[in-house]
This record gives sequence, C-alpha cells and structure tokens, in this order.
Amino acid sequence: MRRLDLRNAFGRRAVPILAGVLLVAALIIGILGQSVVSDLRLLGAARSDNVQWSLSQTEVEFLELGPVIDQIVEEPAPNPVLLRDLRVKFDVFYSRISTIRKGSLYENLRANPYAASALADLQVFLDDSVPLIDGSDAELHAAAPELIARYDEARPRVRDLSVSGLRVFAVASDERREQVAATLIQLATVTAILLGVLALLALYFIGLSATSERQRRDLEEASSRMRTVIDTALDAVIVADADGRITQFNSAAEVIFGYDAKDAIGEFVGELIVPAHHQAGHAAGMKRMRTSGEKRVVGHGRVQLEARRANGEVFPVELAIQSADTASGEIFIAFLRDISHRVKAEAELVMARDRALAGEKAKAGFLAVMSHEIRTPLNGIMGNLSLLRETRLDERQARFLEDMDLSSRLLLHHVNDVLDISRLDAGKMAIEKVPVNFSSLVQDIVDTQRGAAEAAGNRLELSWLGPPLAWVSTDPVRIGQVLLNLIGNAIKFTDNGRISLECEVLFTRGEEAMTEVRVIDTGIGIPEDDIERIFEDFETRDVSYSRKSGGTGLGLGIARRIVTALGGEMGAESNPGEGSLFWVRFPLVTTQKPNEQFAIRLGVEAPATSVTPRDVLVVEDNPINRAVAREMLQSDGHRVTEAVDGAEGVRLAASHPFDLILMDISMPRMDGRQATAAIRSGLGASRDAPIVVLTANVLPEDVEGFLADGMTDALAKPLDRVALRRILGRTESPRARTLVQSPRSAVGQILDLDQFASAQDSLGQAGIELLLPRFLDEGEELVDWLLGSLAVPTIEQEVRFAIAERAHNSAGSAATFGAAALREALVSLERAAKAEHALDAHIGAIGPIWKATETALRAKLDR
Amino acid sequence: MFYVFRSIKVAFLCAGLATPLAAQILDDLPVPAGEVVLTISGAISITNNEDTAVFDLAMLQAMPVTTFVTTTVWTDGPQEFSGLELADLAAALGIEEGTLRATAINDYAVDIPVSDAVEGGPILAYSQNGAIMSVRDKGPLWIVYPYDSNAAYKSEVVYSQSIWQLDRIEVLK
Repeated sequence: MRRLDLRNAFGRRAVPILAGVLLVAALIIGILGQSVVSDLRLLGAARSDNVQWSLSQTEVEFLELGPVIDQIVEEPAPNPVLLRDLRVKFDVFYSRISTIRKGSLYENLRANPYAASALADLQVFLDDSVPLIDGSDAELHAAAPELIARYDEARPRVRDLSVSGLRVFAVASDERREQVAATLIQLATVTAILLGVLALLALYFIGLSATSERQRRDLEEASSRMRTVIDTALDAVIVADADGRITQFNSAAEVIFGYDAKDAIGEFVGELIVPAHHQAGHAAGMKRMRTSGEKRVVGHGRVQLEARRANGEVFPVELAIQSADTASGEIFIAFLRDISHRVKAEAELVMARDRALAGEKAKAGFLAVMSHEIRTPLNGIMGNLSLLRETRLDERQARFLEDMDLSSRLLLHHVNDVLDISRLDAGKMAIEKVPVNFSSLVQDIVDTQRGAAEAAGNRLELSWLGPPLAWVSTDPVRIGQVLLNLIGNAIKFTDNGRISLECEVLFTRGEEAMTEVRVIDTGIGIPEDDIERIFEDFETRDVSYSRKSGGTGLGLGIARRIVTALGGEMGAESNPGEGSLFWVRFPLVTTQKPNEQFAIRLGVEAPATSVTPRDVLVVEDNPINRAVAREMLQSDGHRVTEAVDGAEGVRLAASHPFDLILMDISMPRMDGRQATAAIRSGLGASRDAPIVVLTANVLPEDVEGFLADGMTDALAKPLDRVALRRILGRTESPRARTLVQSPRSAVGQILDLDQFASAQDSLGQAGIELLLPRFLDEGEELVDWLLGSLAVPTIEQEVRFAIAERAHNSAGSAATFGAAALREALVSLERAAKAEHALDAHIGAIGPIWKATETALRAKLDR
Repeated sequence: MFYVFRSIKVAFLCAGLATPLAAQILDDLPVPAGEVVLTISGAISITNNEDTAVFDLAMLQAMPVTTFVTTTVWTDGPQEFSGLELADLAAALGIEEGTLRATAINDYAVDIPVSDAVEGGPILAYSQNGAIMSVRDKGPLWIVYPYDSNAAYKSEVVYSQSIWQLDRIEVLK
C-alpha cells in the first residue's frame, strides 16, 4: 500500500509536469509551424520575384524611352504624338524609380550601396530631365539630342540597379532558405522532443494502468478474503449505512438472530434486532450521532447490550462497533457475540460465590455466637469458682475445686483458640506495631515457662547466635502467643530432656531484620509423614497421648496463621525418638528505644494479687449481673457505686471522681457507648477515669469501635474474677487494650443446675431469695405482655424495639439463674424482633418454656 | 492600429454620404467634358462612347467618395487615399459578376474578380494625401486596397492586383 501511495503521489506530480511539457512543446511547434508557414509563403509568394519584376520592369521602361527619343531626334519638326508618348514613358519610368526609392519593399535594395548609388544617379537624371520634359513641345523637341546624351549616360546605372538588385535578392533568398531550413530543423527537434514526451506519457499510463489493474486484483482478493472471513466468523457481523439500514448480514448473524441475510439486508438495524425497550435509546443515539457526530458506542470497544432474535427472544450480546468512511458515506460495522451462555454461567458463578460468602458469614456468625454462648455459662462457673475459693473448704473440696478450675480454664482456652482461628481467617486479627525489646521479650517468655518445663524434668535454655536483637516494632502479644505455643508443645512432648531456644538474625535488609527463632527439644519427635499434618487445624500429635493440659489441635494452626500475618513463615524438622526442631522466621523492623511509659506488657500476666482499693462505678441495667460485679469487687475490698442505665451512670460520673467505671453496652435510655461519649466529652469529675466496657460482643472490630468511643479497655462478659483483677491492675497504667475474656454456660436445659449453683454462690442464699422472686415476677409480667402484643395484627416498630429490649434484659437475668432454655428463647425473640421477622412463633414458644422454668425455679426457692 | 480606426471612421462617414447615389444603377452616363482618365469596355450595358464608358476625373469625383488611410509596400509611411470604391463603380455600371481586366498606361494588366469589389474593399484612388495623383505619382488612377485593415489584403495576389497608372478596364464575362 505504501508503494502504491508513492506511485500515486509521483503520478499526481508527474501528470501536470508532462502536461506542461506537452503544452510548451505544442506551443513551440505552433510558433515554429507558423514561422515555417510564413517563411514558406515568403518563399513561395513572389515577393522578391515581384521586386525583381519591378527591377526588370525598370530596365524595360527605361529602354522604351530610347527609341522614342531617337524618333524625335529624327523628326524635323516637333511631333506631338511622339512627344506625348515620350512624356508618358518618362512619367512611367519616373514613377517606377520613385516607387523603388520610397517603397518599403525595396528597403533591402536601398541598403545596398551600389543600388543606392545607382538610384541616386538615376534620380539626378530624372530631376535634370523634368524641366525638359515639362517644357513646351518645341523646347522638348530641341532638347532631344541632349536627352539622348543623358539617356546614354544613365543607361549603365539602370543596368547596375537591376544587377545589384538581382544580387541583393539572391542573397536574401539564400538567407531565407537557410532560415527556413533552420526553422525546419528546430521544428523537427521540437517534434522529436514532443514525441519523446508522448512516449514517456504513454509508458507512464501503461504503468499506471498495470498498477491499477494489480490494485484491482489485490482489492478483489482482499474483498473476497474479507467476505470469507466475515462469512466464517463466529460472531455476527452486521454492516449498516449511516441511516442504520443493513447492507451486510453474515451467516453467523443469520444463525444468531434467526433472519435470512436476504430478508435482513435493507431493513433498519433498530427495527430488526434492537429489543423494544431499547429502541427509543437506539433512535436517540443514532440521532445524536447524525446531528452532533457524537459516538458513545462506536469505536469504544466492547459493550454489553441486549438484542432481539427473530422469535422475539431478548438475549445478551457483546457488541463492538466501528465506523468507516466509504465513497457512499459513513458505514458502521458491528460485531455481535451471543453471550447468553456466558452471562448464565456468570450468574451461576455469582450465585455460587454469594452462597459461599453467605456460608462464610454464617460460619463467622456461628463462631461469634458460639463463643458468646459458651463463655456465658463458663463465666458462671469460673466466677463462682473464684468466689468458692474464698470460702472455707476441706482438702477434698479444694482438690475438686482445682480440677474444676483447670477444666474451666481449659475450656476457655479452647474457645479462645477457636475465636482466634476465626479472627485470623477473617483477617480481623489486629497486628499491633509497638516498640518491643525483642531479646527481653524472648527472655521473659522463657522465664515464665521455666517452671512448667522444670515440672516435667526439662531444662529450658535460651541462646543467641550472633548479637541479640534489641528494639523492634512488632506485636509482642502475638509473638508471645506463637513462642508460648511452641515452648508449651516442646514441654508437653519432652520428659526429662532439654528444650533450647536459639535466636538468630539471618540477614538485615534496610531496617528489616529477618529473625529466626528455633525451639529444639529432645522429646519424642514426630514421624516424617506427620510433619506437615501437625500444622493443620484440629490435628494432635497423638490422640492416645495422655494430655497433661489438653489441646484442641488448633495451637500450631493459630501459630502459623499469626506468623503468616506477621509476614513470616514457620516449619518443623524432626527425628522420631530424638526430638524436634520448630522454627519461626519473620521480619522485624528495628526501631529506637521508646519512652518509659510504653512499657511492655507481656501476654502472660501474673494475677494482680494486691490492688489498692478503688472507687468503682458499675453501670449495668441487669440487676443480677450488677450484683455479681458488685460482689466480686467488694470482696476484693473495692468500693462500688451502681447505676441502672447509661443516663444514671453519666450523672453519677459527673458528680464523683471514680477510679474506674465498668460500663455495660446494651442498656435502656442511654447505651454504654453514648454514656461513654457523654462522660468523655463532659466536664464531670470522672471525665478522665478509665472506662472498661463489659461486653458479650467479643469480635475485635467491635472492641476497636468501643476504644474509638473513648473506652479504655474491654472486659468480656460474663465476668471472671481473674480478668477483673487484671483489668483493675492494668487500669493503673493507661495503655492496655487486650480483651480479657472469660467463659459462660451451656444451653438447652430448662434449668442449668451448675449455673444456678453458681448464682447461688455468688449472691448467697439471701441474694437468691431477694432476686429470684423479682425475676419470677418480671418473667410473668413479660410473658403476659408479650402474649398481649400478639393481639394486634401488625406489630409496630416501637413495640418491636420494646420487645427486643425487654427480651434482652430478661435473657441476662435468665442466664444468671441458669434458665438456659428461657434465655435461648428470649435471645432468638430479641433477634427476630430486631430483624423484623414474624414474632408469633417465637412468642408462642416462650409460654411453655416460661411455665417449665417458673416451676423449676419456684421449686428451688421453696426448698 | 490608429490608422485602421481612422480609416474605418472615414469609410463609414463616406458610406453614409454616398448611399443615395450608390443605391441604383446610373440611367444615363454623361459625356466627359475633360480629359478621359478611364475607359471601361467589354460586358457593360451602360455606355457613353460607342460601346465603352468613359470617365473624366470630374465624373469620378462626382460619384461616392471613399477615403481611408493605410500603408503600402510601395510608399513610405501612412498614406491617405480617396477615390471611388470599386464596389460602387461595379454597382453603378450594373456589373455583378465576371472579371475586371485592368490595364495600365504601360500596358501592365491584371485580372480582378468582380467578387473582390466589396464594401470596405479596394478603391479606384485618384487622390493621395489630398492631392490629385499625376502619372509620376502612379496616377491618374490606382487601385488601392485597405491593406492595414484586412490582413488578407497583404498577399502577393492583392499586391499584383494593386495596379497603378490605370487607364482602362475591360469587363470580362
């Protein structure tokens, strides 16, 4: 194509040039031709002959004078006839000489000096003779002899004139002949050039014709190829003119749209394949394009649209339109692909994904609920175990208590593990970045585990290969969790052996130190086949192994997740019978030693045994929970003030400077978050007091929200004495953010006797006797009110809120007294009310459960 | 060019004056009082001397006058010629076709087709630059064409037909 263009460009330039040359040549030939014609005319026409005739005539006319004069001389007397003849002949000669002297014809002749001289002499002869000629007849007769003499004198001059004339005109004739010859040669030359140019032009046009013939063939081939491509294309190809009238419709289009090409061609695209509900848009688009030339689809790549088949079916297509300018105006080439299968597949995929996501969400929800559901009764157990330990026990009871305590802590540990997994998998585990002295951290961890190690007869050692790594920015709690897990496992599976921690900075890159910690034991080791398996969830090394402290099989899974979250990796090597090596490798960013106030808090904390007495405000709407908190705090020597809701809490906090505020979240009138914000933003006495949120919502993002509200810390409900003490110890230093968690009770039973016992222990018999009747009255009233609310056909929004609130409140009380089934029913009622689901079934279910619960609890009260 | 325009102008003026006289054939040709300058013989019906028509200068001058300026190859510079247009002469004598054999004093003779005698064509000049022409000045009559106003008159044939010292015309059928 490029060569073709060049040739065309050359052609475009060459044609005018050649045409110009032709024109110039034709002009020259015309001029020369005219010159030749004029020359030929000069040659042919007897211009010079005429002149020569005139000259010879001069001689003739002169010679005619002679005989007349002779006759006059012979006449004795003047003869008028002769004299008149003489006069006429003289005048004729005079006229002749006069003509030669003046006429432009004779310029050349006069230019000849001989001729000029002869002419002058002849003029003298004439001038001298005129007086004689013009005289009277007698005078002329008398002068005849004199005339004879003059005549004879002039005669040679006439001859000279005529001879020199002949010479002059012979020369001129030769010159003209040469001139004509030269002109003819020029003419021939120019004609030859012209012929040459014509020949060149002819060659050029032959070349041009050959090129255009080749182009035509190329075009034909290309167009035939194009036709084949279009006809065999899997996509529908529709070509339309600027008005939207179809000019081409390939076979794929026939198949896809169900029209024959011959029927489709000439129809409007809009009417043929655009679905009815898109036709207005299509027409608007076409109009816009025609008026403003704006193209929203054309040339904008692939777009997804809907199209209509002959049978009226509307289906999704992928469309690409390009426009092209042709001799007959702009055309549009549309490529359409039937993507109904793809769209269907995509929809299925999306549905599958949505189902999977819903499943994930359900799983996360289940885990959160489970943690809540398990922790609540566990709280009862552990809280009451804590209280029980304060009472007087005999040795057997003390041993039972220890076992119970161990079991409940183990259970709590398992629950926490499961929660950790769910958080890590959800990417919701917050990884902190605080300045930590890494070598001190490792040393502290080793120190806390030394006792456990020695208890199993093991030696626990720590060593650094290379210089120890000091200050880094990382999450000490998570690193502690990983190392504790590895050390704990090593202790678990090693008896009377050695456990060594080797730390090493493998390499540094900028501020990043790739650190490896190896935990090496001389324990039972792991078979090679099991090495990978042990990192999987719920895997334990040996199910038959007597578990000293038990294990969910989640420990290593959690550790590996944490290490991955930290940007590191971990692995293990082992020889069964000789021992194992677990290594952890993660990047640590080195940093400067921080100020003293950012003191490091280890993940493992000793229970705060001695805490200075505090002034504590408990804001909790549930009287039983409030009573548990009060009992726990008072027994540790703290002073307790109680508020039944957020509003009262804010009021109390404003008037008295409390050392600590325990704040429930879900409360009537003003919830915990609002109350916290009010206290923090007000000018009250306790505005800067630590506020610890009491929550059953233990998912980390919730905790983050609470902290953002201005809360200092969070304490998982139900309350656990150890966690409470830890919080009390920690709130002396302002920064501490780890959720201290505690367990809760089992579900399903009408009356969970364990939980009831726990409440009995917490509150004392007197407390039970005071609070339980109140709970029973409350319950009676609630159930009546709930059943009453069903009398209205539609339950209004406000009523729903009230139902949710009262159900929530009573559920807390029911949990405390171990009314598990009731609590469960109330919790699902609360959820249904909030979710605006139908409440009839929920409320209907509560009636019988309430009756059974009431009977069971009254039995306890009456006994 | 200047002379051409002038010649045309003069020709129109004269044509305007001459029209009533030239419109018809002469009924009666008077006998010349002065010296005869032109004798017309041959196929003519109008005569005044046996079977010829003879004219003296006064008779010719009485007929329509045509004047133009032109250069000639026999003279030097533009010349004003006055005379009787050959066409007017032919019309006056009822000559419509044939050839005019014009003969000079020295017996030089040429044949002029009657078809040459057209309006704006040759004249039978008797005056050059306002003066009556003598034999020495190619008089008494000189057939002059307006060479400058018509390129066709610059041909050798026309030159040969430009006969001077004319005194006889024979009309040949």
